[in-house]
Amino acid sequence: MRRLMTRGLAAVGGLAVAVAAAAAAGPRFYDDDPIAREPASRSAAGARPLDINLFFEYSYNLFVTASRQPSQLRAGNINSIDEVPDSSWFTNRIGAAPMPGERLTTGPNSGPAPAPEKWVLLREKNAGTNPGFTARDANGRTWFVQFDIPEFPEGGTGAVEVATKLFWALGYNQVQTFITSFDPARVEIDPKATVRRPSGARTPFTHDDLARVLERAARNADGTYRVSAGALIPGTILGPFRYSGTRSDDPNDLVPHEQRRELRALRVFGAWTNLVDWKAGNTLDVLGGGDGRMVVTHYLQDVGSTFGMANNPHEWDMGWEHFYDPEPSRRRLFSFGFALSPWQTVPYEFYPSIGAFEGDHFDPAAWKPQTPVTPFVDMRADDAFWAARKVMAFTDELIRAAVHTAQYSDPAAERHLADVLIKRRDTIGRLYLTGINPVVNPRLDGGRLAFSNAAVDAGFAPAPAAYRAAWSRFDNATGQASPSAETRSTTTVIPAPGGVPAAPGSFIEIAISAETVDHPSWQQPVHTYFRRTADGWKLVGFERLPEKLPEAGATAP
Amino acid sequence: MRQSLLVLLALTLAVTGRASVAGAQEPASREEVIEQQQAAKAAALTPAEPGKAEQYVRRLSDSFLASTTLHPFWQNAYSGGGFTLGAGYLKYVSPYNTLDVRGSITFIGYKRLEAEFIAPELFNRRGHLSVLGGWREATQVGFYGFGMGSAQQNRANYSFQQPYLAAKMEVFPTRRFFLVRGGLEFTQWKQLPGEGDVPSVDQVYTPQTLPGLGAQPVYWHTQGTIGFDSRAPGRGYARRGGFYGVTVHDFTETGGANGFNQVDYEGIQHIPILREAWVVSLHAMAQTTYDKSGQTIPFFMMPSIGGGSDLRAYASWRLRDLNSLYVQAEWRVMVNRFVDMALFYDAGKVAARRADLDLGDMKSDYGIGFRWHGMAATPLRIELTHGNEGFGLVFAASEVF
Repeated sequence: MRRLMTRGLAAVGGLAVAVAAAAAAGPRFYDDDPIAREPASRSAAGARPLDINLFFEYSYNLFVTASRQPSQLRAGNINSIDEVPDSSWFTNRIGAAPMPGERLTTGPNSGPAPAPEKWVLLREKNAGTNPGFTARDANGRTWFVQFDIPEFPEGGTGAVEVATKLFWALGYNQVQTFITSFDPARVEIDPKATVRRPSGARTPFTHDDLARVLERAARNADGTYRVSAGALIPGTILGPFRYSGTRSDDPNDLVPHEQRRELRALRVFGAWTNLVDWKAGNTLDVLGGGDGRMVVTHYLQDVGSTFGMANNPHEWDMGWEHFYDPEPSRRRLFSFGFALSPWQTVPYEFYPSIGAFEGDHFDPAAWKPQTPVTPFVDMRADDAFWAARKVMAFTDELIRAAVHTAQYSDPAAERHLADVLIKRRDTIGRLYLTGINPVVNPRLDGGRLAFSNAAVDAGFAPAPAAYRAAWSRFDNATGQASPSAETRSTTTVIPAPGGVPAAPGSFIEIAISAETVDHPSWQQPVHTYFRRTADGWKLVGFERLPEKLPEAGATAP
Repeated sequence: MRQSLLVLLALTLAVTGRASVAGAQEPASREEVIEQQQAAKAAALTPAEPGKAEQYVRRLSDSFLASTTLHPFWQNAYSGGGFTLGAGYLKYVSPYNTLDVRGSITFIGYKRLEAEFIAPELFNRRGHLSVLGGWREATQVGFYGFGMGSAQQNRANYSFQQPYLAAKMEVFPTRRFFLVRGGLEFTQWKQLPGEGDVPSVDQVYTPQTLPGLGAQPVYWHTQGTIGFDSRAPGRGYARRGGFYGVTVHDFTETGGANGFNQVDYEGIQHIPILREAWVVSLHAMAQTTYDKSGQTIPFFMMPSIGGGSDLRAYASWRLRDLNSLYVQAEWRVMVNRFVDMALFYDAGKVAARRADLDLGDMKSDYGIGFRWHGMAATPLRIELTHGNEGFGLVFAASEVF
């Protein structure tokens, strides 16, 4: 039945492609290419809340998604130069423009911090491991307050703080988050506050309920509690988003989520920060709009399962295995446990505020979240390359600045977390920047083609012996390229051949490859497309890998 | 799957829409291309709904989380009853307190019907109260004679019926580790002739040769436990920590003929190795009885070992006497988060004199087991075991220790 359905889907998909091809009579590049922002032209006012069943999601991802074959399709939401335009999902920040340390440490926070002089409790927290509740501060603003568990003092709150800054800088919509304090002596309970009991009844929130929460929280010596406070997002909460397909009630949601590059790239960002919990429940769709048109904005609302923060300090396999992973299960079963898994022996420098998080044995390709999600399966080498450049854009100083926002009381813990993030950043860069042709930033100016080599610039590979540029006239109406010349250089500047068209509106295609025995994959050229304008040549197209890759061996490592 | 189809159909409509729109007006920019696709999708929106499979799973999980729940009940009336079928109906009678009415029956006719009220959050979540009332019947409980010299082929069967009403309160005064437990039970053990393929005890023994044969004592059973419990993540499934406790029982028989005292000593220790991927688990249990002057301890109330939780290769109730001791060692291996396997060794003995409870001349067995578990419970345990009296296969719905 499943095979039949798959064939049906393929047929419908094929139909879509065929119709698209028939309809795609327009030019390869439009005047506004590359677009910097994905338009959201239609109102999504009709979108309604959707809940995703956690048990179903876990089961589906562990037993269906885990065995899915990668689609090998190029990301569907990138613009014509292989970049992700801004959208309701993503905003280009780090790597797209200089990122001062102060901007990073502010992150998504645009409003004032909570006023902890008084908290009024409104509702219990009904998801996640860390205890907490919804409360109103002394200024009347509503916050989601989350405590640390006693096993990880400063751990959960610190992780949320640092990860929020990192993921905001990476481009994702994040909740405004602050570290603040909670004094049980200055607490009131809203008369309308309720708690859902095990019986299912919702009854008034009592002081005993507060005590129940505080019993599970790490307490300061003075009787107060360190908490992380996340601001209420304005708009209508629609619930989580799915990692595959689209919202059928959102007209602007065209690209299947597993084909969104920024969602595929989360596999790299998750590996970097060891964010293992990718359940839909940690995401949030919010309906809002200030200009009269309602738009669904997509948030990663809980990025706190990062670094070594887990449900308890004994979940050593976090980041190494899915909740259920057939291969290591088989190995342990048939060896009676003597086939050791890496997580059993990797040495950790353990700090309670950080957890089990290390950088010396980290392998981004082997890293695994608790459950796989479709975009991670479909991530290709060009998606991983894009993600690695984002990660590499974090300087040591920026990483240390982000970590400092956690306000760890132990300087050694703070130093350790930053050191590990730096090591893991470099491991990611070394793997993914060298894995495919790393030519970036091509410019055509003054009769020469200049570009950069991301892997060489980062120090992860020696400069290749030479670069080769294959020049073609490009017909934008038909998409046909007519080879005209080939030039070569031992540097990242290649002279243009004679006869390059000079008329405004003309196009050329340049395929750039590198000659190196160390990285054979660099011989596969990147294809660049320039349009002649009155001001010179403008980059309008870039293709690092083809639209569809062969079935095997082409996914990101 | 249905949703994926809808999405692809929507996309197809979007593109088709684009084609028709394009026929009227060719887009002049990339933005226009996308906007036309959005316009086409806007004309074909459908509510965002979970697929059928997800809806079914949701209904199932909601029914488990509902305040009234029909649930399976695998506990049989008495060890050795065999495969059990049972069901219960749990209802919240207050925000935290539950009433569970349940029953089970086995293929050889063991029956159990009971109701239990549980108040799990007394004394600011330090105390747990259980009030249990019910009736059970076991029809072919084995009796092989007393002591270590009893022979497998000398099995005789007895049956019993037991109505019971009991209350048990457990308190962790400091919330963790230190444990105090007290209980009071009013019950009758009505011993009757056995059924099955072997002789009934009354055909083999007389009241003179088998103490308590045919007795139907009514007991006030009080008990008190003091202990230290650091097992984690939970009692029903532990990978670290331990339990050390002593329980004192008083069985006062209303007729004054079959009263006695009993003391249980129990120690459990789980030693995690290689980040809990391996766990060495050790268990020791000793039960000693003390007669009340002039009264007789009925044979069916004496300590016994043998069965799926202690001497696993031996039949249930295989060894019986006034005192018992058994030790267990397991090497547990985490296969994955839901399955453990274990190699184990059990050894045990019974003795008429407490002084004879030593580690010499024990009956022993060994085996391999597989356990399906959650965070703090073990709903399925399957074990293959071998001892001097052959192989045994254990199916259980609880942890071994």
